[in-house]
Amino acid sequence: MIITVVSGKGGAGKTTLAASIAQVFSAEFYDLDVDAPNAEYFLQPEFTETAPITQPVPVFSAERCNGCGICTKECRFNALYKILDTVYLSEPLCHGCGLCKLVCPQQAITFQNSDVGHIRSGHSNRTNNTVHVGDLNIGSTRGTYLISEMVKKIDSNKLAVIDGPPGNSCAAVAAIKPADLIVLVVEPTPFGFHDMQQTEQIVQQMGKPYLIIANKALDNNSVDDFFQDKAKSAALTILLDDRYHKANLQGEILSQQFDEIHTGLQQAIGKELK
Amino acid sequence: MSKQIAILSGKGGAGKTSVTAAIIQTMENVLAVDADVNASNLPILLPHENQSTTAYYGMDIAKVDYNRCTRCGNCLAACQFDAISTDNDGKIIIAGDCEGCSACAFVCRHDAIKMEARKGGDWYVSSTDNGYLVHADLIPGEDNSGKLITKVRSAASALAKEKDIAYIVIDGPPGTSCQAISSITGTDLVLAVVEESLSGLSDYRRLAELVQKFSIPHFVLINKGGFNSEIEKNIVAAAKEFNGTIIGRIPFDHKIPQALQKLQSLADMEDYKDTMAQIVAKMASSMQG
Repeated sequence: MIITVVSGKGGAGKTTLAASIAQVFSAEFYDLDVDAPNAEYFLQPEFTETAPITQPVPVFSAERCNGCGICTKECRFNALYKILDTVYLSEPLCHGCGLCKLVCPQQAITFQNSDVGHIRSGHSNRTNNTVHVGDLNIGSTRGTYLISEMVKKIDSNKLAVIDGPPGNSCAAVAAIKPADLIVLVVEPTPFGFHDMQQTEQIVQQMGKPYLIIANKALDNNSVDDFFQDKAKSAALTILLDDRYHKANLQGEILSQQFDEIHTGLQQAIGKELK
Repeated sequence: MSKQIAILSGKGGAGKTSVTAAIIQTMENVLAVDADVNASNLPILLPHENQSTTAYYGMDIAKVDYNRCTRCGNCLAACQFDAISTDNDGKIIIAGDCEGCSACAFVCRHDAIKMEARKGGDWYVSSTDNGYLVHADLIPGEDNSGKLITKVRSAASALAKEKDIAYIVIDGPPGTSCQAISSITGTDLVLAVVEESLSGLSDYRRLAELVQKFSIPHFVLINKGGFNSEIEKNIVAAAKEFNGTIIGRIPFDHKIPQALQKLQSLADMEDYKDTMAQIVAKMASSMQG
């Protein structure tokens, strides 16, 4: 079973809660916030393995290429450009679609794998399970691809927690897609509600079961007020508390430090586990 | 030409939007841009009135003409994104995973695949109490490759030129990938809002690495501070390492989220008005000459 934690808004507490859920249920952990991965500060795994994630990119044969430039015109991602009679690749933009190879009249293009990032894996004593962290090369456009490649490695027969990316674009969709249960974290502010509802829309369109956790709430009333006329209300509300904040900023797992959070998650999520 | 300031953080929730709104309200002769197009929050905080809405089209999507398709399967082999499949009857189906590369259309011998425009969202020009706001909404789940950000920024530059506006202030997206790049290319200054936490520090380091690649000077505003002097010390050291200058500090204060609930920014709060004015003055003087 796969649980994906998403929020729309950044900083709502995805990583905080994903780490706590993994700790409570001793689950395998996947950090798919690949261009700002932070779960390792909480889970403190001992990394024992690093594997590159690659995609095919074009390589040009200097002998065969006559600089006609057809490939540069056909590429939909503007990843190819020509200076004088030489074609160059802007690798961060390449999607590895293979069109350039297909259109080349000189058969001058072959494909070769190149890194878009890597996965670090290791054991965490805090969850007593494996942790996998995705690191996208800084500046790369291939975050969604890296997420999809990592998702392929998840064994859904075991319990796994995915810490998803912020935002509501295709990267979030890629992290939601494999999940059997979505945990939507909402920071109960006008920003948080706005962004969470966009994520909720994606989750509903994909027909995924989900539950909502309100985090950093100033009080219970504002959360209740917001969910008053909604289809679903918060399964758990965590208040803005200096003790939580302090523990959080130095990398403590809240469920390990605070019984009320441990119990709260055990009840809210435990119900939904198969 | 207008001077451009991009506000970023790496980590989400560090306080980019709250700080951006306060800067916009404190500055004069300024145009605001919300470049966080798939979780656009600046318009929530800045009262505005819509002046124009324009549709945004992202990558095209492949579409099958079933009158021409012979189900030869060439397209299936060409697609690198597993976006093409066949149903039980062998009919070719193209899914939403299509990245718009057009390889399938190229290999189709029967001219049965056409690339069609796909709407990815809308972008808007709005007026505010204090100038203009250019912002956008990506349709939830669509590709956020940075194209829409580029679109919004070029519209903002054109408007600033037309209206002779001195400053463009950009509320950036979280992360350090292509969206962040689209938000900082060609800017004169980056303001990094860094949350005083291990995560905040780690993401700042990734961001600073990126900013340095573009040779853009940057300031660091430490936010939600005052709890852990060790982490703060490490943020100061990291800023030094990446040639960033600490511009100010905002403490972890419950009054700030309370004000946000009421849609008030730091500039509306007596305690932080002066801090914001000082930050704006420092940024403005750094961009002179």
